[in-house]
Amino acid sequence: MSTTRAAPTPSGRHTTNGRNGHGDDMARGRSSWPDRLYRFDTRYMPYVLIAPFFLIFLVFGLFPLVFNGVIALRNYRLDDPTLTGWAGLANFRQLFGDEDFWNALYNTFGIFLLSSVPQLLLALIVASLLNRRLRAQTWWRVGVLLPYVTPIVASTMVFSVFFSRDFGMANWVLGLFGIGDREPINWRADKMHAWIAIATMVNWKWIGYNALLYLAAMQSIPRDVYEAAAVDGAGPWRQLWRITVPMIQPVIVFTVILSTIGGFQLFIEPMLFDLNAQAATGGPNGEWQTIAQLIYKVGWKDLNLGYAAAMSWALFLIILVVAGINTLLTNRLSGGRSR
Amino acid sequence: MRESWARWARAVTVGAVGLALVAACSGKSGQASDAADGQVSLKINFWGDFGLQDLKVKYEAANPNIKIQLNSGEYNAQHEDLQKKLVAGSGAPDIAAIDEGFMVQFRSQSDKFVNLLDKGAGAYESKYLAWKWRQSLSADGKTQIGLGTDTGGLAMCYRTDLFKAAGLPTERDQVSALWPTWDRFIEVGQQYTGRTNKKFIDAGSNLFNPILGQQPVGFYDEQDRLQMEQGPKVAFDYTIRAIQAGLSANLASFQADWDKGFTSGSFAVLACPAWMLGHIKDTAPGTEGKWDIAAVPGGGGNWGGSFLTIPEQSKHVAEAYKLLEWLVQPEQQIEIFKRVGNLPSQPALYSDPAIADFKNPFFTDAPVGQIFPKMAQGLTPQYLGKKNGPTRVAVENVLIRVQNKTLKPETAWTEAVKEAEKASTS
Repeated sequence: MSTTRAAPTPSGRHTTNGRNGHGDDMARGRSSWPDRLYRFDTRYMPYVLIAPFFLIFLVFGLFPLVFNGVIALRNYRLDDPTLTGWAGLANFRQLFGDEDFWNALYNTFGIFLLSSVPQLLLALIVASLLNRRLRAQTWWRVGVLLPYVTPIVASTMVFSVFFSRDFGMANWVLGLFGIGDREPINWRADKMHAWIAIATMVNWKWIGYNALLYLAAMQSIPRDVYEAAAVDGAGPWRQLWRITVPMIQPVIVFTVILSTIGGFQLFIEPMLFDLNAQAATGGPNGEWQTIAQLIYKVGWKDLNLGYAAAMSWALFLIILVVAGINTLLTNRLSGGRSR
Repeated sequence: MRESWARWARAVTVGAVGLALVAACSGKSGQASDAADGQVSLKINFWGDFGLQDLKVKYEAANPNIKIQLNSGEYNAQHEDLQKKLVAGSGAPDIAAIDEGFMVQFRSQSDKFVNLLDKGAGAYESKYLAWKWRQSLSADGKTQIGLGTDTGGLAMCYRTDLFKAAGLPTERDQVSALWPTWDRFIEVGQQYTGRTNKKFIDAGSNLFNPILGQQPVGFYDEQDRLQMEQGPKVAFDYTIRAIQAGLSANLASFQADWDKGFTSGSFAVLACPAWMLGHIKDTAPGTEGKWDIAAVPGGGGNWGGSFLTIPEQSKHVAEAYKLLEWLVQPEQQIEIFKRVGNLPSQPALYSDPAIADFKNPFFTDAPVGQIFPKMAQGLTPQYLGKKNGPTRVAVENVLIRVQNKTLKPETAWTEAVKEAEKASTS
């Protein structure tokens, strides 16, 4: 478009054919209404159409983010209205010495590892199974997505009962194999069991979703590559790791980033897994309290919004770093050497 | 020129979309329709069943210009929602029910509520249980943010069939005589556990809280200083003794295993406020006639109870207060008791035949109208500090860890003090 050029020549403005063919026969400022409408439509309509997204992002994304940063630097307690004013970096300094924060970070990492790694590996295997010729193919493909469609609160409530100590199904099933005969497993007593229980909920929900993403990517891999590999004597397992994974690598990186973000913002599962959910302590000794849960507790239970805001910012930075590391690692592991 | 016009047009469009969005987000439905026909719509937020359905119809019939919206939600969600609306400055209901467990938190924000003393509520002071009146009074005693509706009282609900199987008496007076003190209570529990090899109580924390409630000083003294070595220590030691004797089933209240325990007999006795009776009846309908109610060891007690408040942001304060005042009148309070069993907090009503003569058939015709008022009146008022809630949770969590065997009983007290201090400064 001629008008957006940095230094248009005076003559160039009128002589370039530009965007509309009749630019020559009308002088500026003398345009008719339909003409204006036409110009508006072609030039600005795209911006108008895309504006709602940015507006919503501005109101619900950028503004809270910035305002959160402001609050993080202030004293802001709901139960003490007299305590106001700038706190400087005091909230962030408190973070470093806060054992609850480090415990929550540890839990978040632990649950993240226990959920993301098996989740993505299993999703890969499920996807490669679904990628074969199967009877009732569509049925299977829709089937793996069902957990994803289930409302997260509903499934977590069911899992919470599933993992109860005295009458839970998990202990009943384990009991059939002679595990926990004498004393049933208390899933909420120590870190290991609680992490496993929560990771199970996360895995159940997201395996199908990731599998479908992988499946979509796999279907774009040409068949003849596999045929060639088969001729060379590569079995299904070898084909999966040597051909499929490297070829769908961008999707894998995408799912790793998504599950990192999701894993670090884990909230509903640990929250509702707690028998005394309203306290938001994530277990009697914070056995499975995640960072998101701690932020909620500090903000809405301890009513210390300034400190909670500082934690949110810390979480944001941690997610950035971890997602970056994960991307690098995934690139390496899934055969990114050639790229 | 055209450039600037287009830019202007773009700005207007963008702005209009933005305004529409903001308007859509902050829209207050319900309020707009009020003015049109002189109708006033009053919203009441509460949790569970406050027994208000019939009263709503009655009040609307008597006051044709009033529409009442009953909004029942989940217990915690309602309180958190109210807190958020108070911070936001709009959106709170005209009347908000607040439980005593959250009262301290809201009482310290008394400027966000209508001072009912300004509306003439002072006339009711003498009608209420003294400690109930004080619970919703601001620290300086100048602002009363709520009028009490129900009060919990506290008794012990026990399974007569399980007691019989263990060779213990089943008659409620004999059972009450069995445990005049908590020492005796633990001994009875040991007998029960010894003979049946089953757990006696549902959870350590449900022993800790009633005992703590009977102490002259709770977690905090009147200057809001943490006082662990007095009341809390007494209650903690009893609880640890009970846990070490293997009496506790270590179940969390209102959770699946606990609910199941009512029918399966995971425990034989539990601390039982008036509102718990409805829960037992709903959860374990098959156990009708297997329950009875005895006195709490060590005297009186209270667990739960609620208040009705008017947030300052309400647009119809006068109408809301009129409704609130009507709801706490004796006739309505008795109506609620009959409907859902919630015990009023005005002692004069306890001698009313509708309450005094009421027997609960589910609990072997226990005279609940006699038992609970006695317990509520026997309670010594205790000051609850600002941080009482989090402190209680912190100590309860230590008790759960002892029951989970992830913490040794010997080191539990040190840990409890540490956690309580942390909670008090959080």
